[in-house]
Amino acid sequence: MPPFLFWLFASLMLVFGAAVVLNRNPVASALSLVVSFLGLAALFMSLDAYFVGIIQVLVYAGAVMVLFLFIIMLLNLRAEEGRRINWLAATGGIVVALILVIQIFSVIGHFQAARQTFPSLERSTTDDVWNIGALLFSNYNLPFQIVGVLVLVATIGVVLLSKREPR
Amino acid sequence: MSYLELLKLASTEAVVVVTALVVLAIGLTTRREATGVTVATAQGDQNVGGSSSARTNAICSFIAALGLAIAIGTALMLPRKATLFSGMLVITPLTSLFKIICMALAFFAVLLTKSEKSLRHPGEYLAILLLATVGLMLLVSSEELLMIFIGLELLGLSLYVMVAFDKTDVRSAEAGLKYFLFGSTSSAFTLFGISLIYGMSGITSLAAISEKLATVSVQPLLAVGIVMTLIGFAFKIAAAPFHLWAPDAYQGAPIPSAAFIASGSKVASFVVLGKIVLVGFAPLHGDAAWHAMVAGWSPVLAALAALSILVGNFVALAQSNLRRLLAYSAVAHAGYTLIGLVAGDREGFSAALFYTTTYAITLVGAFGVVALVRRETAGDDFSNFSGLISRSPMLAGCMSIFMLSLAGIPPLAGFFGKFYLFSVALRADAGHGLLWLVAVALFGSLISLYYYLIVLKVIFVDEPSLAIASSPDHLSPDLLQRIAVAVLAAVVLFLGLMPDALAAGLLAAMP
Repeated sequence: MPPFLFWLFASLMLVFGAAVVLNRNPVASALSLVVSFLGLAALFMSLDAYFVGIIQVLVYAGAVMVLFLFIIMLLNLRAEEGRRINWLAATGGIVVALILVIQIFSVIGHFQAARQTFPSLERSTTDDVWNIGALLFSNYNLPFQIVGVLVLVATIGVVLLSKREPR
Repeated sequence: MSYLELLKLASTEAVVVVTALVVLAIGLTTRREATGVTVATAQGDQNVGGSSSARTNAICSFIAALGLAIAIGTALMLPRKATLFSGMLVITPLTSLFKIICMALAFFAVLLTKSEKSLRHPGEYLAILLLATVGLMLLVSSEELLMIFIGLELLGLSLYVMVAFDKTDVRSAEAGLKYFLFGSTSSAFTLFGISLIYGMSGITSLAAISEKLATVSVQPLLAVGIVMTLIGFAFKIAAAPFHLWAPDAYQGAPIPSAAFIASGSKVASFVVLGKIVLVGFAPLHGDAAWHAMVAGWSPVLAALAALSILVGNFVALAQSNLRRLLAYSAVAHAGYTLIGLVAGDREGFSAALFYTTTYAITLVGAFGVVALVRRETAGDDFSNFSGLISRSPMLAGCMSIFMLSLAGIPPLAGFFGKFYLFSVALRADAGHGLLWLVAVALFGSLISLYYYLIVLKVIFVDEPSLAIASSPDHLSPDLLQRIAVAVLAAVVLFLGLMPDALAAGLLAAMP
């Protein structure tokens, strides 16, 4: 991928990621998140990770975000819109975040390997769906199944906590 | 590696997961009288719906306890040594021992659940408790960062739900939200730290990381990675700057949840934290001695320990609610336990594990007493405990054993735990470099004696307040729970008189 496209997609992601937080309208926030996900998918594609990129579009930008939008519209959330931004708290947060970013940048600047160009990866002979599948069912089989248990816990928890109880 | 072999080595976890599913299914299929069920104030109006819900609770608790007992049996039959998938699942005498300890702690939490009348969905609650136990076992038995992170998340998600479970109580919701926000932020930091470590070493298995790191010096990037990785664990053990969730969670959560967080979650977190720093980051030990500080993880943990001891003990002085007091004292105890890891060899690790195990047993017992008193008086402030000796000498006796053990009074387990920790810390360095840390810890113990004795004064000396004394219903007979509390008190006494029973086993099990 030419560097121009990398910068384009990266800045697209960052701008719309910021828009998710800054927008007061929940629907606009959710739509900004969709655009941010699309930029991320393009970056994955540029790394030859086509499967992950497509899943990013199909699952996150597609299914998950559409569900988000449905729920926002169903619940008719409006509470956020009228709220004023507390500028004191916002400045405090920005300062702390900036300090962290500066620290991380200076630390990475000291790291030798970060300044060398990345060696180009050799092309694999099999396509990446096959590779991911083979890993999931061999080396990463146990974590794969435990993630299933984790999703079960999340499902039970969401149903329980959001269920309306009779008084 | 065949699937059958995997199933055989992970049979303990599998049994607990299946038990959780069975309990969940029973909770779902048992018919509920949905409307007009008032189980919350169980005394007078035990109508048909109430008793059916209580029956569900009893059946589910029985099956959960049975499943845990079977799982403990399978844990005893595991092979002595096995390693799966380059460290994702490791079986050694140490991991088997701690799997059993974690399941035993979960077993007592299940017993506490049985009498908790305010839980409306016992099946779901117990299922989540069992799945959290699976998380504990995975944490204990893994030496691979990816698996450790998944275990942390499984445990964390289950605990968030368990803390916020009581929807009739605003405190529970507040505690759940705080725990969730702090927990998810700190696990984001941990994941970032793990990714930096992975970026530098190119591998996630702890033993291989330690080999890779042996050749590099402490660069700034590595320091950031280590500190960020440690943040998530400092949150889980409630060490000082990351303890802000603890008081609310201990006070607001349903009592079995609070007991589980204070016991099982803490023990497993210390085991895995010890493995990460002592195995994975072994070459970057650094030095926390006052005259020769060297960068590494041990100065970080030493700072956390000193801060926890001071903050925990001083803030605990000002509490008037027993559960909040236990929370702040938990912060202080996390500090004491960290001293063992700072000392940092086999013996330091085993001292830390001995201390955290006895502490967990003590706290489950203390929460058992709180649960019984709370059922009777509907509260857990000091005033609810006043004159407990005249109402129930047995509970008062058990509580005094737990409190004195926490304070570190000689014939009890807490004394030997502290003694072991401090002596290991003093011996760790030729020039007594950790003397400053031990001095801080001794000073902290001195302060803690004051507030533990205040609890005992309230129980033994204070007159029962009028409202409680005139209440016609004395402690309702809940035999099982009383037996459980008495057993725990006996264990604390036994480990104080014969600490070798556990300490020698731990030291022998160390790799």
